[in-house]
Amino acid sequence: MGYSAGAREEFRGTAEPADRKIVLHARGIVKRYRRRRVLTGVDLVVRAGEVAAIVGGNGAGKSTLLKICAGLISPDKGRVTVSGSVGYCPQNAGVMGFLTPGEHFTLFGTGRGLSRRESDRRGRRLAGELDWSPARGVLAKDLSGGTRQKLNVVLSALGDPDLLLLDEPYQGFDRGSYVDFWRSVWAWREAGRAVVVVTHMLNRLDRVDQVLDLTPGKDRGIR
Amino acid sequence: MTATLRMADATLRELLRRRGVLGLLLLVPLVFYLGRYDQTGQAVRFASLGVGFAVSAAALFSTVGGREIEPLLALSGFRPLQLFAGRLLALLAAGLGVSALYAVVVLVGQDLAHPRAVLLELALTTLVAVPLGLLLGAVVPRDMEGALLLISVIGAQMVMDPAKDSAKVLPFWSTREIITYAVDGAGAGSLGSGAAHALGVTLLLMVASGCVTAGRLRRRRHLQFA
Repeated sequence: MGYSAGAREEFRGTAEPADRKIVLHARGIVKRYRRRRVLTGVDLVVRAGEVAAIVGGNGAGKSTLLKICAGLISPDKGRVTVSGSVGYCPQNAGVMGFLTPGEHFTLFGTGRGLSRRESDRRGRRLAGELDWSPARGVLAKDLSGGTRQKLNVVLSALGDPDLLLLDEPYQGFDRGSYVDFWRSVWAWREAGRAVVVVTHMLNRLDRVDQVLDLTPGKDRGIR
Repeated sequence: MTATLRMADATLRELLRRRGVLGLLLLVPLVFYLGRYDQTGQAVRFASLGVGFAVSAAALFSTVGGREIEPLLALSGFRPLQLFAGRLLALLAAGLGVSALYAVVVLVGQDLAHPRAVLLELALTTLVAVPLGLLLGAVVPRDMEGALLLISVIGAQMVMDPAKDSAKVLPFWSTREIITYAVDGAGAGSLGSGAAHALGVTLLLMVASGCVTAGRLRRRRHLQFA
């Protein structure tokens, strides 16, 4: 793992008691794409009120691991146990281009058991936290790339899932939105939710409780 | 039920807002129909198979387009059956609208022995076309492959002699059988066997497409919820 002790300290964020409920437990995850081994026995434990970052270069298997944790693809070996509900934010796409953000809120809110009005209210509140005010009547296909990604983040967090899996969620965000995003992440942590963020790199803002580095040859998991 | 209806509502909205694609798809049966306008039987057959193509293609594009969002909706709490039923309902509603439109076109433009049989035939064609498109959309990697397969099916349906037993394996055999009855009278075609074929094929296609959807959105074995 290539982070200095100072950086480790910075990533650590607020201290977390080890007796908190485990929300995500991935054990011995192995995944190959044809002959190429992408994940070789990866373990990850994330507790309630923790933020974990998964880092590594292109092709290191960050998105693959997150999809396995979300149950979107199967590993070749290993198991994942989740305690509670899951929200997943894909790296891109994931929305219906010809629906408005409000219609997305209603649709995803229905899955979470929310009424139309409550879905819209919560969706707009989450959007506001990312400094976005969805205009009525604008279709998702007409949103900018960054705003569409904000829609993905809002949809994953709608209904307050216990575990949030975010795959490079801030692609296309401007600096202000990036800061707003991390504020939201810290608020979710304070609310007792487990958050896993896939990222290319961590900077000073990204204070997290643990880092899982999937770069080949690096030690895994700093706490 | 709410979840299924919300899915149907979202699918229908998305479909109806794709005006360019929808307009071009609606044009297919009209082109087929006008090409054989002076031969009643052929005109109705071509229009009906055009409706079958347009509705199947809409279902195919809708299914392929929904591949990325459906796993996320399943993760948010939708059951695979609700997603499948919602999409099916929306496409049936849109397809029946298209078939009603072409029923008017055909009934106004042609002299038929049994006009009501044409209404039934167009409705049954839609009933077959929707799950056919859903199935193709569920099994092909991209919509281009699905569209090529669909063209092959419709093309085979147009050229194959419906009197042959082997023609009955084609999904729109019922369309031609009922049209023969509607245009030429009871001695030439059978309403009952046509309707039975359409219902049987619909059931088979629905079960097959439902199973593929459920398989794709299944909970993976490695994932357990505590």
